[in-house]
Amino acid sequence: MTPPADGPAIRATGLRKSFRSTDGTTVHAVDDVDLTVRSGEIVAFLGPNGAGKTTTVDMLLGLTRPDAGTVEVYGLEPGAAVRAGRVSAVMQSGGLLNDFTVGETVRAIAALHGRTDRVEVVLDRARLSPLAGRRVEACSGGEQQRLKFALALVPDPDLVILDEPTTGMDVGSRQDFWQATRADAALGRTIVFATHYLAEADEFAERTVLMNHGRIVHDAATTDVRAAYGGRTVTFRPPAYAVDPSGIDPTWLARAQRALEPLGVSDLEVSAASLEAAFLALTTTPDVSSPELEGALR
Amino acid sequence: MSATTSTATTARVGRPTPRPEMVTFARLDLRRQLRDRFGMFFVVGLPTFMYLVFGLGSQEQVGSGNVAMYVMISMAAYGAVGATTSVAGSAATEQVMGWGRQLGLTPMRPLAFVVAKAAVAMSVAAVPIALIFAIGAATGARGDWTDWVLAGGLAWLGSALFAIYGLAICLTFRGTSAPGIASGMIVVLAFLGNVFTPMTGLMLEIGRLTPLYGYAALARYPLTEGWLPLGGRDPLWLPVANVLAWTMIFSLLALWGVRRSRART
Repeated sequence: MTPPADGPAIRATGLRKSFRSTDGTTVHAVDDVDLTVRSGEIVAFLGPNGAGKTTTVDMLLGLTRPDAGTVEVYGLEPGAAVRAGRVSAVMQSGGLLNDFTVGETVRAIAALHGRTDRVEVVLDRARLSPLAGRRVEACSGGEQQRLKFALALVPDPDLVILDEPTTGMDVGSRQDFWQATRADAALGRTIVFATHYLAEADEFAERTVLMNHGRIVHDAATTDVRAAYGGRTVTFRPPAYAVDPSGIDPTWLARAQRALEPLGVSDLEVSAASLEAAFLALTTTPDVSSPELEGALR
Repeated sequence: MSATTSTATTARVGRPTPRPEMVTFARLDLRRQLRDRFGMFFVVGLPTFMYLVFGLGSQEQVGSGNVAMYVMISMAAYGAVGATTSVAGSAATEQVMGWGRQLGLTPMRPLAFVVAKAAVAMSVAAVPIALIFAIGAATGARGDWTDWVLAGGLAWLGSALFAIYGLAICLTFRGTSAPGIASGMIVVLAFLGNVFTPMTGLMLEIGRLTPLYGYAALARYPLTEGWLPLGGRDPLWLPVANVLAWTMIFSLLALWGVRRSRART
């Protein structure tokens, strides 16, 4: 009805949500999040467990009501956008009935959407047609997630939100899953996915939003995130006298930093020398006394 | 959006107002329930077996019929209760175990879901009643035709109470084993409720307070008019009061469970 290009897919401002934990303290799961996602974008939500990704996703879908702030999905209140079939989601593992077959699961959800005409199409899109007669409990974790992806496609939504869809899958199933998703995204659907695999954001998303402690700590093109924080990592081994069992000697590190400053190198810190560097740099407080044996310079 | 295929475009342009097809959903769900061999054994197999063991060929007079009729009604009621307990119980468990979130992403309203599940539960409950009454009719259960109609109707409608029971138990004991707990307790309650073997004395006094007693006594009332197999008679108000009291108790427990599960999210 409404062409998807008529404004942002998601517009969220000042989102907040707190929970009372079991020991009575208040946890700020989401703390003042602003987010705009344009139509057609593929956005990764990256962050460690407990960063607030799932809570944010729940608010985007109207499953949780924010304590403060507003969310609009295609200009609608999230619940209305879900009911209109404009947004749908693949939730974290679980959430299927074991004693339905793959085909029955799709037919049941399609019936609730009033879209039984979509059953064959979505089974095909998720490459599940050969498995339609198989019981859900006999499906692998990867196949079950593809089934949930098929369910998400039933209303032919403009926006699909995936919440850590590949958690617990082996590498092969992960690739299968993203292949199915990628093929579908090529048709112009807007995709927002939460993940804690940096490689998934790197490979699949044009834009990466980094979350930690309920806040957005970085929001840029994925290539920028990689370039700024992980793309050009210089790794070196500090001399043996600067390393003791508790980590690298902070005074030595300070001297190294001073020596490198004239060369235009800033932000010297110790971190794991891997692709995860960007992730760690943004989601953990740099700690010079951590017991890594290698220094990373950026 | 230029890459959008023609199918997607036509779907968007002519996007129909989604109207949930609840009948299709309920039919798929009903088929799933009836396919569950383990569950259906307790709902249909076990009560049928017990009718054949205890009721078959017992021609002694009870009220306006015979003992076979008495056992048949008891077992049909037991089967119906097993059906509503397990359907409602598993519905509650599925809701809290994640399927509820999946359903929450569809245009279906919660009330429509409750109605669909109630329809499924009552359909499954009709299976043991119909089957055991048919077997009874073929094997010598005798009573007035009004006894058949009223007993069948009361057993069927009264089993709805145990849908509330199933909800209450499964919202209280959360987790995948909750429906098993609810169904297992039904066996114990059936013994206490004078459903399997006739009780006397103190056990009968205690049994009168348990939830299956009132329901089963009410289902048999058209046949027995309250007379007990081992002597004594229950006035009509007793099973009625029992059913009303337990309806209250299970409803309050279920409401409390719903409140508690909401508070978690």
